[in-house]
Amino acid sequence: MPRIPTSVLIKAYQGTPLLPLLLQECRTLTSARNELRWLRERALRDNQPPRLGSPGWRTRLKIMCQQRSRGVPLQYILGDQPFGDLEILCQRGVLIPRSDTESFTFQAAHLIRQMALESNDTPSPRRQRPLRVLDLCTGTGCIALLLHALLAPNFEDMQILGVDISPTALTLAQKNLAHNMHLDLLTNRAVTQVHFHRADVLGVGDESESVPKIQEVLREYFPRLENSDGSASEFECDLLISNPPYISTADFRNGTTSRSVRRFEPQLALVPPNTPQSEMPDGCNVEDVFYHRILTLSLQSQSKLTVLECGDIMQARRVVAMYQAMTTDQAKEFTMEVWPNSEHDLAAHGFHPHDGSRCVIIQRAR
Amino acid sequence: MLRPRSWLGALQALPRLPRLSTQHRSFSITPILPAKPLPPRLKINDADLTVSYLKGTGPGGQKINKTNSAVQIIHHPSGIVVKCQATRSRSQNAKTARSLLADKIEQKEKGGESRVALKAEVARKKKASKMKKTRRKYRDLEGKEGEVLEEGLEEAEEGLEEAQAVPKVGGSGEKGPAS
Repeated sequence: MPRIPTSVLIKAYQGTPLLPLLLQECRTLTSARNELRWLRERALRDNQPPRLGSPGWRTRLKIMCQQRSRGVPLQYILGDQPFGDLEILCQRGVLIPRSDTESFTFQAAHLIRQMALESNDTPSPRRQRPLRVLDLCTGTGCIALLLHALLAPNFEDMQILGVDISPTALTLAQKNLAHNMHLDLLTNRAVTQVHFHRADVLGVGDESESVPKIQEVLREYFPRLENSDGSASEFECDLLISNPPYISTADFRNGTTSRSVRRFEPQLALVPPNTPQSEMPDGCNVEDVFYHRILTLSLQSQSKLTVLECGDIMQARRVVAMYQAMTTDQAKEFTMEVWPNSEHDLAAHGFHPHDGSRCVIIQRAR
Repeated sequence: MLRPRSWLGALQALPRLPRLSTQHRSFSITPILPAKPLPPRLKINDADLTVSYLKGTGPGGQKINKTNSAVQIIHHPSGIVVKCQATRSRSQNAKTARSLLADKIEQKEKGGESRVALKAEVARKKKASKMKKTRRKYRDLEGKEGEVLEEGLEEAEEGLEEAQAVPKVGGSGEKGPAS
């Protein structure tokens, strides 16, 4: 981590004594000033109306700044994070939603709307059943909930299922559903159309633990309604979206993963479990283990659109190659792209030109 | 015996009068005039805009948890650039930036006729009127206080005279044996 220039430190000390505290984590003066403003706003709001006996807002603000200087994520201190127009509650033990994921979710909603418009031109019997969305490794439930908010005006009938292995995450996701409905950011339909369920996506967990397998959950929630095409799968969905753990053990330790993330966010949501190379599918890296599993599910469920967040371009290309290897006999049925790819999209969504996360978008051609 | 009963019946059959709302009852006789409507907001063509999210330096994703939510909008025909990082929400910042941009463009195009200029004018007039009222109030108060003060002074002078009168009497008494 580069040193903070002395001139910046001096400037911070000239401002307020709290600024140097925040600078330790924020690294730039602009960012530190912004965070101080947000923290102050929250401290003042929490102190409304002022209570006798409890510490005042200044004391509260100082405590929050000290926490931040130790690296505690701002979202854990404040307890929430905006995601689209939603307000997602955050707590220790559950990954904080990132703005990159927000961009991918908007893109997924845009594409599914476009696909629905195209399919409306050529009427097919398939439009009978509700739009089905599967969000694997949902965490706070941010993707599932934002998709409901974005698609509710266009789709009357929806089934959105968020899946996670962590009970803490599922409790929080459920809380987020209620919280956003209370704030009127989600329509009343959300309570019947969005569900969260515990399941093991990898299916490598101990037999002793009674975590349901993902296929069992999908058979229950998204059963195949028509068996006309005579395929063997027992479940189907339209959109499969996921932000699975994708950081390799090496990257988690070598400094590319920031101190705050490493120390305070759950490793379960960041690093895939260490699978022995002998049990891995051919040519698959350990950090890509989730993608192999999710791509298999995508094929089985015949999802029309699959959107997967990846750590960087290299990983995204590996995922594309993995899918090509799995579908050699039916390559013409799919279009694949790594998004964002064009200079315009990269800049518009604030992505780093050659580093940082990307997503793989797989569309099933009709 | 029957007459009052029938009369009572007639009374009960009267339709209920609409209740006057106590909240909106005005004691002022001067009617409340609606404020002069502002011109409609300027519509900006989305094709002229480049909206971009600024995330600062370095990559994002799961590895780094960034709190930067700045939004920048460039309006190509006028070359105006607006940046907003007021809240932690990108979508909220984008909305704020849009309205800021609309205000700026309008001000550039219309000058004194723009919404911002008109609003500023209204605010200025209100402030001027308030200041005038304040000045008038204190001038009146000062005038009254001056009267009160003068009266008080007169009273005090009278009191002084009385107080002076006593020693005078005493003095004359003292002086009496001396002379």
